[in-house]
Amino acid sequence: MRAARTIAIAAVTGAFLLPLAWTGLAAIGVLPDDSMRPPSWTGPPTLDHIADIGVAEPTFWQELATSTLAAILAACLTVAVAFPAAFALARSRYRGRRTVTQGFLVLASLPVMAYAIPLADLSRRVHLIDTFAGITLAEAAVTAPLAVFVLHGAVGQLPTEWEEVAVIDGAGLFRILGRVVLPLIAPTVAATLVVMFVLDWNMLLVPLVLTSGEVKTVPVALSDFFTFERELDWPTAAAALMVSLAPLAMLVGVFHRVLESFALQGRGDRDIG
Amino acid sequence: MRLTHRDHILLFAPLAILIGGWLIIPALVGLSATLTTYSPLTTAVAFVGWQNYSDVLHDPQFGEAVRNVAIFALVAVPLELGLGFAIAYLLRRPIRGRSWWRGLLLLPWLVSPIAAGVMWHYLFSGATGIVSFVLGWLGLPEAASPIGDVRLALAATIAIEVWRMAPFVTFLLLPGLVAIPEERWEQATLAGTSWFWRIVNVALPEVAPLMLSVGMLLTGLSLGAFDTILILTGGGPGTATLTPALYSYDRAFVTNDWPSGATSAWLIAGGVALVGAAYIRLSGRRSG
Repeated sequence: MRAARTIAIAAVTGAFLLPLAWTGLAAIGVLPDDSMRPPSWTGPPTLDHIADIGVAEPTFWQELATSTLAAILAACLTVAVAFPAAFALARSRYRGRRTVTQGFLVLASLPVMAYAIPLADLSRRVHLIDTFAGITLAEAAVTAPLAVFVLHGAVGQLPTEWEEVAVIDGAGLFRILGRVVLPLIAPTVAATLVVMFVLDWNMLLVPLVLTSGEVKTVPVALSDFFTFERELDWPTAAAALMVSLAPLAMLVGVFHRVLESFALQGRGDRDIG
Repeated sequence: MRLTHRDHILLFAPLAILIGGWLIIPALVGLSATLTTYSPLTTAVAFVGWQNYSDVLHDPQFGEAVRNVAIFALVAVPLELGLGFAIAYLLRRPIRGRSWWRGLLLLPWLVSPIAAGVMWHYLFSGATGIVSFVLGWLGLPEAASPIGDVRLALAATIAIEVWRMAPFVTFLLLPGLVAIPEERWEQATLAGTSWFWRIVNVALPEVAPLMLSVGMLLTGLSLGAFDTILILTGGGPGTATLTPALYSYDRAFVTNDWPSGATSAWLIAGGVALVGAAYIRLSGRRSG
């Protein structure tokens, strides 16, 4: 029974990863050869195509650096502002806080397109367009509602005794937040940081409408490249895709255990609500 | 601990500034602009009431876009939830290296929507693609790329979305399934319940609130479908894969019809708000 399940999981995972494996093979120069029946592959593996990225898109490596830095800063900012709010929401006794919490999930579901057009206009007026800060702040804001929802669930599951003890000891609000609550939900905070990083890294519309080309992230560069109908041969495109996927894959590889703490709804939610 | 009014304000202020400045205020400014002829490049602004909404709603292209996105959401969201749940169900019991399988399965979601568009453009096409390779292996003739076919283009974009999002649904549902106490499964097994009824009676009631939240996120994402389609088809062939988000983007940034762009964007927000109201009602009822 257990073996059957393992086989089923392996088959499903294999099916989902097949397109990626195909792309990975193309990136190292192993390409399909249709001339034979049945078709097979050509070419010895090579790393040349990774070097070709810089030839096709000279600023690619710079864009990779911009993406990385913007995503790191945006993820940290998101969690930094979402955590206190999530705590307040979880400990609040106001009526309607449930609706507010669910409102954050609705806000997280709101497509960026719904406000991207005026956001671009306003950013231009306050001179935040085409700046690294403007893009980072906007990315942080877009992902913040989801972070509030997830962190709220984690805080909601915590017993309040630790906080009560700290209050009796005379600890202030921010001390309790930093020294008592944060360590207790550290795995969820770490998992949220990882997920936010992925969302920021992959975001297209926000950095696209907030730049006229000065500050570019990888998704914007990809869209520019293909919108202007420039041809890119498949191995180079595949290499670029793999290079921009690699940091995320490594991140998830390192944090795969911590990511188990990323839950949309704390289990204790129902008892508290 | 008991929070005072002051505590609440202190704790919410940073979030309020960030979301207020970059999300709420742009949205509201956009909303008021939709009732005028405002556009970033014009100086004379006139109030026109519902004129912009009437224009957009009477545009046959926008009608096509709404029809496409409705099909997209109605097909993609249940498929993502169903597939995601099925895989999570397979993974619910501990097996060797479960967290590794879970991490590996997350890989498609890590591919950005735009990169997925680029990738599938090549995977669908003849010489380089995986589709024609598999067909050739089965001894079948090569098929033309579905993204150039009016009848298949929308289905192809849906398939890519499901490929990317179903693993993420598994990732989100698994904690809920794992948290179900073992006794519940054992009781059901002892009572001779078949696997189908174990899912319906044991698993689904437990993960229903979670499914509702995931469904909300997926619906919002589908209604805003943009990135992948922009790169894959640009809305074509014809209007076969045009979505409201692509329509807004095109109006605002390509044809410089800013009022139409902002107005159609607000219609997307309106659609998500309706779904959101239903979500809040449903999850409120459940918790009693």
